[in-house]
Amino acid sequence: MDMKRDYYEDIRLLDSGPQVFWLVVLLGALVAFPLVADSYQIYTINLMAIHVIVALGLNLLVGYTGQISLGHAGFFAIGAYSTLALMINAHLPFILALPLAGFITAAFGFLLGLPALRLEGPYLAIATLGFGLTITQILGRLDVFGGHMGLQAPPLEFFGLKVTSDAGRYAVIMPICVVLAWGLRNLTKTRVGRAFVAVRDSDIAAECIGVNLTYYKTLAFAVSAFYTGIGGGLMAFVLGFISPHTFNVMVSIMFLAMVVVGGLGSILGSVMGAVLITWLQLELARIGELPLVGPVLTELSNQVFTLSGLPNVQYVVFGLIMVLIIIFEPLGLYGFWIRTKIYWRTWPF
Amino acid sequence: MKKFMVLTVLVLALALAGVAGAAEVQGVTDTSIKIGQWGPQTGPAALWGAVARGTGVYFDLINSEGGINGRKIDYFLRDDGYNPNRTKAIAKELWEQEKIWGFACGVGTSPGMAVMPYITQNNIPWVGMATGSTHWAYPPKKTIFAVYPLYPDEAQILTSYAIDTLGKKKIAFFYQNDDYGKGGLEGAVRELKKRGMTLAADVPVEVGETDLASHVLKMKKAGADCVIMWVYPKHAAIVLGTAAKLGYKPQWMACSTLSDVALMFKITKGLWNGMIFGNFAELADSKAPLMVKYRAAQKKFAPKERWGVFFYAGFGFVEPMVEGIKRAGKDLSVDNFVKAMQSLKGFQGIMGPITYGPERRQGLKKIFLAKCVPATAEVQGKKITYGKGVRLSDWLGVD
Repeated sequence: MDMKRDYYEDIRLLDSGPQVFWLVVLLGALVAFPLVADSYQIYTINLMAIHVIVALGLNLLVGYTGQISLGHAGFFAIGAYSTLALMINAHLPFILALPLAGFITAAFGFLLGLPALRLEGPYLAIATLGFGLTITQILGRLDVFGGHMGLQAPPLEFFGLKVTSDAGRYAVIMPICVVLAWGLRNLTKTRVGRAFVAVRDSDIAAECIGVNLTYYKTLAFAVSAFYTGIGGGLMAFVLGFISPHTFNVMVSIMFLAMVVVGGLGSILGSVMGAVLITWLQLELARIGELPLVGPVLTELSNQVFTLSGLPNVQYVVFGLIMVLIIIFEPLGLYGFWIRTKIYWRTWPF
Repeated sequence: MKKFMVLTVLVLALALAGVAGAAEVQGVTDTSIKIGQWGPQTGPAALWGAVARGTGVYFDLINSEGGINGRKIDYFLRDDGYNPNRTKAIAKELWEQEKIWGFACGVGTSPGMAVMPYITQNNIPWVGMATGSTHWAYPPKKTIFAVYPLYPDEAQILTSYAIDTLGKKKIAFFYQNDDYGKGGLEGAVRELKKRGMTLAADVPVEVGETDLASHVLKMKKAGADCVIMWVYPKHAAIVLGTAAKLGYKPQWMACSTLSDVALMFKITKGLWNGMIFGNFAELADSKAPLMVKYRAAQKKFAPKERWGVFFYAGFGFVEPMVEGIKRAGKDLSVDNFVKAMQSLKGFQGIMGPITYGPERRQGLKKIFLAKCVPATAEVQGKKITYGKGVRLSDWLGVD
């Protein structure tokens, strides 16, 4: 059923009729959402959309190209700070500043890609971790970027139209998110995308068949950084204020968790991972108020735990969920999705 | 007919007035007020989360006494892990879903800055943020009331005490190279300039540095006989240790963020002895009636907590808010509450005198000084030495 018969079938963006149908339904739902949801829900979805953009970029690097990064909070910060700095100091409109910030971030991604050529696995992880930590230290010392005081985002404006509500920001963020997701799907179906996968599977073999390793590895870093930078730029407006604290190392780790939990090398996986982890982060903070579990945990915390025991339970639960997903489904949420699909295909037999 | 018209108008007017009077204020019923706070219980800044738990115990105490004007406080504490995007989600969630009335305290400058526009936009009362930044009160915003004294003011007070009372001539300033440390530096320089003096040495330290020998040598070489520090606890401990090794013994002074004297004494292994430091709230072992009462409340409601300054600061930061709610009476509309807050003139709980006005949103402008001395106590049959503060001055301010 899924058999591909010729090359053009393989590079088609959408494989089947039902896929087109569900895509249209999804887009319709995304358009209708702000009309029915309240401001808090829209804010949550905005956060999720931004995390989806970042997860897509990171998945291109980790899932498709097989490079690891623990420093994506650094790119996130560069994107956020350059967008604001371009708007405040160079008086550029948002519509120019955001893509420009994306390209600036991509340039940093290219630079980080250079040492990555010689590093692999754990060594690359440490190098990128160092990058992420350094960026926030440097940003914290530059007066242009407000130092440790941070920067206040100027009002978001489109051709004289001010965007102040969450629904307004949604109208800006969601189309960008959809376009970038579409763009990544497109990219993975091209020669470039296949070259990335070849590098991941075996870089020596890839080089033998004519894939330029230097070019494609640095390109993967640059594109990944571009996505993360765009996400950062949007985040600056969702928060309205950024400071180096906003981009700590936990943020990098969460990004990586989104990609791994969602499913490496899958676009749908990136989306699912980003949505699930953002949701868990926000909801687990209220674990003490859950109907049955809450009182039990609170009581347990009062009896056995230290003072901040209960709040720390959210991280235990968080970690537990991730461990369980990885143990039972190494492909992440995307693996669940595939299995569910296969199950239903032959249902009820 | 005319009479009838007049009567109708009157009835209508009364009905309208009735409606207006009963206009519902979000988060307030006749028996409860919903108040929220964010504070890091996890992550890098979790230590400061004690403030938020302190507020909870304070509200427990108030509720056990029958609440404020018959209303009990429904307290919502949320952990934001010092992560501004979570803080913003929390603020929205509490305001839009839990429908709270206002916010108390809130730890941290970046988390607070991320939610300030949202809070001003929606006219939400917010009192007593636990940070000394100038952003909150300058320029004044209608519903935002700051308590924590400003760093420049505090440094000015410490400097003038060093010169006038201690008779020091050469003062060095050791500070963290960011807005927190620079805020202190600005105040010290201002005070010295007033007297036609300059600093013997100003020595910045970066957050990540761990070897402070060159810093100490710089101060020693300048011959400073008094060093004021505006750093994090870790650096304070390292600099004292290094100075002891290098035989440098000036009079040390410290900012109120280092006023947890028992903790500092412990982590410096006694070197904190003799330290003179600023305080925004009463000392931990103070005999002031309110402090005695609050300590009893802590023993009752949260026996596991350590009675440190950041824990009971969680009581102090919201005292003015509670007083404002009390004075506002039955009608807790935002306008009425703001009016009540502005009537606070020299209000005092366990902190210094707090004053607000139509254009004034910085409540506390005074600190007092204390000195660290060693004391002994017996814990489970073992004698231990700990540090405690002895009060040196009354509440001091700058004009």
